[in-house]
Amino acid sequence: MVGKKKRKGGKTVVNIVLGFICFIWLLPTLGLFISSFRPAADILHTGWWKIFPHQEWKSGKTIQLSKDVDLRQPIEVNGKTYSDDQLKAGVAADDGRLLWENRRARTVNVQDKGWQVKTDVTLDNYKNVLSGKEYKIKEADGTVITQKGSGLSQAFWNTLTIAVPATVIPVLIACFAAYAFAWLRFPGRKTLFVIIIAMLVIPIQVALIPVLKDFTSLGLNGSYLGIWLAHTAFGLPLVTYFMYNFISQLPKDLFESAFIDGASHFTIFSKLILPLSVPALASISIFQFLWVWNDYLVSLIFIGNQPSVQVMSMKIADLVGSRGNDWHLLTSAAFISMLTPLAIFFLLQKYFVRGLMGGSVKG
Amino acid sequence: MPLAIVLCLSFTMMLSACGNNGNNNAAPTNAPAATEKAADNAPASTENTSTDTAGSPLELAMKGDYKGTKVTMFGPFVDADQVKFENSIKDFEAKTGIDIQYEGSKEFEATINIRVDGGNAPDIADFPQPGLLSSIAKTGKVVDLTTVLDQDKLKANYNQSWLDMSTMDGKDGKIMAGIWNRSNVKSLVWYPKKQFEEAGYKIPETWDEMMALTEQIAKDGDPAWAIGIESGAATGWAATDWVEDIMLRTTTPENYDKWVKGELPFTSPEVKHAVEVMSKIWLNKDYVYGGTKSIVTTAFGDAPKPMFDNPPKAWFHRQGNFITSFFPETAKIDEDYGWFYLPSIDPQYGKPVLVAGDIYSMFNDRPEVRAVLEFFTTGESIKTWVQSGGVIAPMNDASLDWYSSESDRAMAKLVQDASTLRFDGSDLMPGSVGAGTFWKGMTDYVSGTATLDQALEQIQSGWKN
Repeated sequence: MVGKKKRKGGKTVVNIVLGFICFIWLLPTLGLFISSFRPAADILHTGWWKIFPHQEWKSGKTIQLSKDVDLRQPIEVNGKTYSDDQLKAGVAADDGRLLWENRRARTVNVQDKGWQVKTDVTLDNYKNVLSGKEYKIKEADGTVITQKGSGLSQAFWNTLTIAVPATVIPVLIACFAAYAFAWLRFPGRKTLFVIIIAMLVIPIQVALIPVLKDFTSLGLNGSYLGIWLAHTAFGLPLVTYFMYNFISQLPKDLFESAFIDGASHFTIFSKLILPLSVPALASISIFQFLWVWNDYLVSLIFIGNQPSVQVMSMKIADLVGSRGNDWHLLTSAAFISMLTPLAIFFLLQKYFVRGLMGGSVKG
Repeated sequence: MPLAIVLCLSFTMMLSACGNNGNNNAAPTNAPAATEKAADNAPASTENTSTDTAGSPLELAMKGDYKGTKVTMFGPFVDADQVKFENSIKDFEAKTGIDIQYEGSKEFEATINIRVDGGNAPDIADFPQPGLLSSIAKTGKVVDLTTVLDQDKLKANYNQSWLDMSTMDGKDGKIMAGIWNRSNVKSLVWYPKKQFEEAGYKIPETWDEMMALTEQIAKDGDPAWAIGIESGAATGWAATDWVEDIMLRTTTPENYDKWVKGELPFTSPEVKHAVEVMSKIWLNKDYVYGGTKSIVTTAFGDAPKPMFDNPPKAWFHRQGNFITSFFPETAKIDEDYGWFYLPSIDPQYGKPVLVAGDIYSMFNDRPEVRAVLEFFTTGESIKTWVQSGGVIAPMNDASLDWYSSESDRAMAKLVQDASTLRFDGSDLMPGSVGAGTFWKGMTDYVSGTATLDQALEQIQSGWKN
């Protein structure tokens, strides 16, 4: 009885802690989501939380001071003297807060605190991102024509074209490799495996220029095949390691009996290993897909920015303009870009949780 | 056992790291060979074009000789700039049948080195920072344009200052590393025109008049200057423009050139004096909107916004002509806002103008690439962009009539009439200074974390790297 009660109490604590962590992690996303619906001017001026009811100073009546008040001397308002700095920052007085309304015209505003809600919402950010920005361009004769930029759809398909094969190819190869490392006996097995694991620690940045040189001589730059290969190569060590941990822990007896029944290695792999490792496959696929989907660097180097092959992350970075003048569009663009990985995550979620434990328990 | 594994792991790591180094060492030996090949080809093709045909590559292209060819181009224009650029070359593409495949990237500065090193250089690259081009030119991978383009034509079409600025150190000796296409003027002070006139203020002709007006505006109740230098990782660059502009007005152009090359240290009295002149505005809390402290935290693009409040909360903003893209869309040029030339300080140095711009360089020498590059030396190549506003054409054959606003036309005239034309110094200095300690040092000085002497020493230390 006592033990049960204790466990129940523990559960509440765990839930509270988990809820708190979730809240912390979700808060920026929530802010991004709300910001993406706010007009550009609002995003620049106030935080997203201002859409909730909050207390704010409201302007009230105006006090006109004499026009020749010297701003560098103490200033008298309603019989009390204040300094210029105080009036700039706002200073508490008997009937509210005093603040310059127009320093040049020497008017001071008496403000009251009151509840306010900023509820302006707009779909403009999404429109600009999805269907392309509108550029106003002045012609020789002074007329202004509007030219529409390209939307996200092309970049979306490009990214998908890159991300799907760049996920499937390494996962497939890694599965074969993991099976071989786990269940086949061949000379140099351990050494090879250690070398592959050692590859994990090599940062991809050091490989960029050498690989780019090879790609140039093979004519692979800017082609889908090139970037599939690049992502496959950069992803393979981790995927192999992950799959090895899972496959090596499948019960040995299973394969032995299959082997005695005359199954070849390929039959064992396709009929037994693959179905059994679906959870691990699903979770490593999500990892790899996320990495490719959000990748900027590898795409920047190997595929470039031509509109026909440009990926989402690069298109989104370019949306802000040459000098970053449209950065408010990042809010909606980031949210749109998040949707695909989120959808995939929720679709494969139940495998994901199971698979996370895939590599963790030693048999 | 685990220890053995760890040792083994780290050993293989070292092995593979060494392997990588080996690759890296091997790779460059291939690259020079490739460029030598290109260099071998280059004279051959020059002879071809000059012997068996009459006319420059551009004329041949206009006849349709290079129909169906492709020229790749890589540069930093994205978004609206990219649209405007593509509009400006549309006509040329239609007439010649050459397809210019432009690729714009916000990461141009970071990517171009990797592409050039990786042997994947574009045919033409557009450098907004000549300092970056000059470091690539030293490797010998940039085609020398001295033999490619007709030098007499260039001399007729560009102010000599521009041509001097395109001469850089090559692998062996000076080369002409590129040609100038789009340019910006930096020595401008923007102001809210309508209210400025209503308030009865007069445009200052000298620095002293400007300071007097600043004081007058402060007495009237507003800080005169809107200044902001925040720009993410590039915070501080807006301050470097001020120093450069004041340097040009307080010392000789020769000293400016020495300073840019690193021969005149930041700690010299000339530079120190320039920063002191600047400080008289920047460090006076009555002269700067939001006070000195807000300079470092205000984004350079948001800085001019108080000028467009009604009534204006600030009156002057010194920035290049590109800043108009940050102005409110409803504000009209020549009506709601205008600009005046940042006045001279010492009359003996005339009316110097600080400019910036884009230099186009060539990496692959093919006849159609030559044709495209020659096209970029003509005013025609930037005509539609000039008409849409926001840029200045550095070529002499770009007519002043093209500019669609008085303001832009006056800017172009300012550049053409300038007694001294100098390029943005921080863009010419090596990256460790011009895009490193110079930004950082100025930021530290303005925010008050370093004294002037400390800041200047810190900036100077960037030259040692």
